[in-house]
Amino acid sequence: MARQSKRSTARRGRTFVETVVEVEGRTEKRVVELPAFEPAAWKADTALEIVGARVPRMDAHEKVTGRARYTADIALPGMLHALILRSPVAKGNVRSFDATAARAVPGVLDVLATGDAPPDTRLFTGKISYAGQPVGVICAETFEAAAAGARAMAMTFDAAPFAATFEAAVAPDAPLVRSQGNLMADSPMIEGRGDIEAGLRAADVTITREYRTPVQLHSAIEPHGAVAEWNADRVTIWESTQGIFRVREQVAAALGISQSNVRVIKHYMGGGFGAKNGAGAHTYIAALFARRTGRPVRCVLSRRAEQSDSGNRPATIQRVTLGAKKNGTLTAIVLSADIPLGVSGWEGGPAQIYHELYACPNVRTEETFAWVNSSGMQAFRAPGYAEGAFGLESAMNALARELGMDPLALRRRNFTRIDLRRSQKYSGNALRECYDEGARKFGWASREERRQASANPAAPASVVPSSSVASVRRGFGMAAQLWPTGGGPPSYAQVRINNDASIDVLAGTQDLGTGARTVLAQIAAEALGAKLSDVRSIIGDTETLPYAGNSWGSMTTPSVGPAARMAAEDARRLLLEAAAPMFDVQPGDLETKDSRIVVRDTDRSMTFAEVTKSLGDVMIVGRGSRGPNPDDVTIATFGAQFAEVEVDVETGIVRVLRIVAAHDAGRIINPTLAESQLEGGIIQGLGYALFEERILDRATGVQLNADLHDYRIPTMADIPAIDAFFVGTADTVANHTGARGLAEPPIIPTAPAIAAAVADAIGAEMTQIPLTPWRVLGALENQRG
Amino acid sequence: MRLTVNGRDHEIAPAPGERLLTLLNDRLHLPGTKFGCGHGECGACTVLLNNRLAYSCIVLAEACDSATVTTIEGLASAGKLAPLQRAFIAHDAAQCGYCTPGQLVAATHLLARNAAPDEAEIREAMSGNLCRCGTYPKIVTAIAAASRGDFKNMSSETDE
Ligand code: FES
Ligand code: FES
Repeated sequence: MARQSKRSTARRGRTFVETVVEVEGRTEKRVVELPAFEPAAWKADTALEIVGARVPRMDAHEKVTGRARYTADIALPGMLHALILRSPVAKGNVRSFDATAARAVPGVLDVLATGDAPPDTRLFTGKISYAGQPVGVICAETFEAAAAGARAMAMTFDAAPFAATFEAAVAPDAPLVRSQGNLMADSPMIEGRGDIEAGLRAADVTITREYRTPVQLHSAIEPHGAVAEWNADRVTIWESTQGIFRVREQVAAALGISQSNVRVIKHYMGGGFGAKNGAGAHTYIAALFARRTGRPVRCVLSRRAEQSDSGNRPATIQRVTLGAKKNGTLTAIVLSADIPLGVSGWEGGPAQIYHELYACPNVRTEETFAWVNSSGMQAFRAPGYAEGAFGLESAMNALARELGMDPLALRRRNFTRIDLRRSQKYSGNALRECYDEGARKFGWASREERRQASANPAAPASVVPSSSVASVRRGFGMAAQLWPTGGGPPSYAQVRINNDASIDVLAGTQDLGTGARTVLAQIAAEALGAKLSDVRSIIGDTETLPYAGNSWGSMTTPSVGPAARMAAEDARRLLLEAAAPMFDVQPGDLETKDSRIVVRDTDRSMTFAEVTKSLGDVMIVGRGSRGPNPDDVTIATFGAQFAEVEVDVETGIVRVLRIVAAHDAGRIINPTLAESQLEGGIIQGLGYALFEERILDRATGVQLNADLHDYRIPTMADIPAIDAFFVGTADTVANHTGARGLAEPPIIPTAPAIAAAVADAIGAEMTQIPLTPWRVLGALENQRG
Repeated sequence: MRLTVNGRDHEIAPAPGERLLTLLNDRLHLPGTKFGCGHGECGACTVLLNNRLAYSCIVLAEACDSATVTTIEGLASAGKLAPLQRAFIAHDAAQCGYCTPGQLVAATHLLARNAAPDEAEIREAMSGNLCRCGTYPKIVTAIAAASRGDFKNMSSETDE
C-alpha cells in the first residue's frame, strides 16, 4: 500500500496527521493520531476462515428469546415517566400554560415548561416554529398518570402565519421561519465542472424533466427514548442511539457538566436509519427531570411523536437536463433542485450523485435549501443520494427511451473508472461487474420474452406468481448507485485475553441491528487465530470503552473493523511473546489457529488457555486504532438494481414482483448479515417508491399521517422476490480489512428502478414518488392527452 | 384478578386504563413484548391471549381476568428453544430484533393453525407485524424452514 511507505517515517514517533473522511456524503478533514503500526492488508487471495464466513449473528439468541434489553426495557427502582407536550400550531407562541389541574392529577410529580430547560437543549423557548414542537413535559409515577396529566393541561397558543412548503418559504412576503431568513446560508449551493453550454451544444439529444420526491420518515419500530439516573453529580443515560459518545458530548455541553460525569449506555436498539444520531428532547428531558426529582426517569416518544418529530428525509424538487450524443455519450448534466429542510438540518441535498456516477465532462448543479415550518430533517439512509438517484436515474431512463437505447447500455457507455468530481481514482470500482452480474441473474436481455410470457396465461409458470387480470401490464427497469463510504478515524479498540483465554473485543461503538457485534468478533478472531466461539464483542458504553464515532455513513465496519483487527494483532503479538519461552523458540516461529499456538512445521502446540493460565493474573491487552485514509483516492460503493413489476392500468396499483441487486462493497465480512442489510435497504426503497409520504395539512401545518396506519411502510405482503448479492473483492487500498460500508447503498437505486419498470409497463413516465395508484392513473391520463 | 402468563398464575390488581402490554413489561417484569406504537398498528406487542393473537398495547389489562397469555418469554420450554426460534437464528431473521418477539409469537400462532403454510399464507398471516429493518425475506424463510421440521430435533445443549 502506497500510504504505508509514504508515512513510514512519521510512524516511528507518535504524530498527528490530517486525513479526509466522508460522512453521509460530506467530506470532512480530521486530525488523526497515527497508529503504532498497521497490519498488512488482507488481500483478495489471503486465506481467511472466519472473516467472510456466514456465521450466525452473535446476539441472535437474546433477540429470539426476548432477552435483548432495549432502552424502554430499562426499569429502575422508583423510575418516573415523562410525557412531552407538543404544540398544535405551526408557528407562534405559547400564550398561556396552566399546569394547576395537571399537577393535581394523582401520580403527577412535576411539569417543565418555558424557561425551565438550559438554553443549549433548545427546549421550551416559548417560541414555536413547527406543529408538534415540544412546549413542556409532564413527569409522573406511571405513564398512565402522565397521560392523564397531559389531558388536564390548559394551554393556549398564539398562531402566526407559517410557511410549510418550499414555495411558501421563498415567496416574497413569506413569514420568517428563522430570524436570519428562510434560505440556508450559502444557498443556492452551486457546483460544476466543464462547460455546460458547450456540452448542451454538443448534444444530439437533450431531455428536461422535473422530479419530485416526498418526505420520508425513518419509522424505526422502536421509538426514540432515554432513561436517566443521577448519582451525586454524575448521570447515567440509557439511550437508543447510533452514537453514544456524541450523546455524551451533547448532554455534557447542554447541562454544563464534564463528559466524564456523563455515562451513555446502549445495549440494543430497535433501528436507527439515521434518526438516532444524537441527543434529543427526550434525552435532555429524562436527564433534567431525573436531576430535579432525584429519581430515575424514562422518556420514550409516542408513535405520533416518532412519526412527526424525530427526523425525516426532506422532500426535493429536481429539475434535470441531460444532453447526450446519439450513441448515448453524456455531454451535459444539469440539476436545479429545491429542498425544504424543515426548521433545522444540513445540506444533504440530491446533487452529489449527479457529479459522481457518470463520465460526463460537463456537470452543473444548483441546490436551494429552505427552512420551512415543519419538523427538522435528519440523515436518513443514504441522505441526498436516495433522492438524487431518483432524479438522475429516472432522467437516465427517460434519456434511454428518447435515444431508443437499452438503459443498461446507456449506463455502460457512461461508466467512469475515475472520480471526475475530485479528479482522482476510486480505491476500487466494480460497477461494471454489478451491471453484468445483475443483468445476468435478472435475465435483463430476455425481458421481452418474459413480458410476452406473462401476457400469455398458457405460458409456463414463471418464478413469480402472475396476475391473470387482463388490465395488468408487466414492466422492467433498472438503476445504478454510488455512495462514498470509506469510514475513517478516529476509532479505537482493545482486545483483552482473559486468563481462561476467553477473549473480549472492546469498542465504544454500537450495533443498530447491522451486525457490528458479530463483525468485530469475526475480525478479531481471524486476526488473533482464535475460535470465534471464544470471542465476544463488548460495545455500547462510554464509561468503560475506548472511543468510536457514530454509526452513520455506513462507517462502522470500515472504521472500527481495522481498529479491532489491529488490537487483535497486538494481543496476538503479546501472547506469542509470552508463549515463545515456553516452547524455547522465537515468537516468529509460532502460529495461531483455533485458539491454539503451534510451533511452525512441528506438532508442538499449546492452547491459548494453557498459555494464559501459566501467566497467572497477567492480562493481555492489545490496543488498536484506525489509521488515516489513503490520500488522493475516493472510496465508494457501487451497485445496480433491476426491478420487475406488474401494474394494473385500471386501478393504478403497482406490485413489485422481483428485485435483483448486485452491489460492490469491497470485502464482505459476513455475507449473510450483509445480505440482510441489502434486503432491508431495498425494502425501505420499495416503501419510498410506492407508499411513503408525509402529509402536512396545508391549513394548519399539522401532520395528517403521524402513525403507522396512514403513513404506510412495507409489510410482509408487499415484498417481492429479492435476489441481493455482492460482486467485487477486497479493497486493499481502502483499509487493511478490505471492507467498505454497505448499509446505506442498497436504498439508493430501488425507487428509480421501480419507477422505470412502472414506466416500462404503462408506457408513461413517472416523475413523482411515491407511485400511488392516483399518480399512476394520472400518468396514464396525461399520456392519453 | 387472576392471570396465567407463560404457565404461571398471577394474582394482580390492574390499574385503571392499564394496558396488558404495560402490565407485562412493568409489573410482571417481562420486557420481551415490545412497545412500537400503542395503537395496534405495528405488531411489536403481539402476544397470545387465550391462544389467539392479540396486540397487547390495545388490550385493557382489566379485560384479561382469568386469561391465559403467552409472550416471547414463554416460547422456549425448559430452557430449550422452540424450532421457530432456532430457525430465526439460523436464517438471520432478526436484524435489530425489536419486532422479533412479535414476529415469533405471530409465527407460532400461524404454525399452530396451519402446520405447513405455503409462502403466500405466511406472508398473509404475518402482514400485521411490521419490520422496518426489512427482515421479511429472512422471516419467511425461517418460518418455512421451521414448518418443514428442519429444527425439530436439534440438541438443546447450547440453548441457554
Ligand atoms: S405496539 Fe401494539 S401494535 Fe404497535
Ligand atoms: S428486525 Fe428491526 S424492526 Fe424487525
